[in-house]
Amino acid sequence: MSAVIGCSAPDTSSIADYETSLDVKQLMHYVLEPAADIVWDSAGTIATLEGVEDLAPTTDEGWFRVQHAAAVVSESGNLLLMPGRAKDDDWREISLGLVSTGKELMTAAEQQNADAIFDLGGQLYNVCVACHQRYWVENDQ
Amino acid sequence: MKVPNLTIVLLAAFLPVSSAQAHHAFGAEFDPNRPLLIKGEVIKVEWVNPHAWIHVAREMEDGTTESWMVEGGTPNTLLRRGITRDSLKPGIYLVVDGYQSKDRSNRANGRNITYADGTTLFLGSSGTGAPRDGADPRDRPR
Repeated sequence: MSAVIGCSAPDTSSIADYETSLDVKQLMHYVLEPAADIVWDSAGTIATLEGVEDLAPTTDEGWFRVQHAAAVVSESGNLLLMPGRAKDDDWREISLGLVSTGKELMTAAEQQNADAIFDLGGQLYNVCVACHQRYWVENDQ
Repeated sequence: MKVPNLTIVLLAAFLPVSSAQAHHAFGAEFDPNRPLLIKGEVIKVEWVNPHAWIHVAREMEDGTTESWMVEGGTPNTLLRRGITRDSLKPGIYLVVDGYQSKDRSNRANGRNITYADGTTLFLGSSGTGAPRDGADPRDRPR
């Protein structure tokens, strides 16, 4: 059976076209932002007059949650590249930046490396800003 | 909103900032027509992405204090400008200039901070649509 599949052209007639019912704003709101928030909320410190709280996860479950969020961030880049959403070459470059940053975040979460999560969280924000500057900020005043 | 004592200020300062409300264009939350100056003791520092937040017990003219939250840039960008977690500790005195939130709450987008020794550093984020007021060294002259 596998030999038959290997020698035949794939039959794509039954594969549906993309159905990008969520517009980009909805994709940001429901998919990317909640995942990015989990990443951002999982590293850093809160200092008060009483002491310093470290926000890094302290359990395997907590780190898996960050890894999951990082995977969503990474795949969100691909979702932005789908027909119906992708706009131009700059859009592609920024989206791929999201994919690569998400993958780095996944690795950092797997290694439970809080410093790397913190640094990559800043990198993730830079990707966000690059996109917002190019496609969003000017229309958001 | 005037508050009579520091206890209430401190309680208010423990209200968390959610990151969901913290990544946005300047114009979505802050008013470029409401510049303000905040002087007072730092009571809390959130050294977090995507923006650091500094909570200040703002000194008012009548001698009371108000709790204000000031948004800064990402910690990584602040570090590159010389603003470190160690230099931004609760208990220090700061002067911050920035712009108040559109909803008139005690929130501001920070532009410059000045330490007690007179050192002034850019606190804000570049590329968010904030006014070109000369604070951001990356702003190109018009």
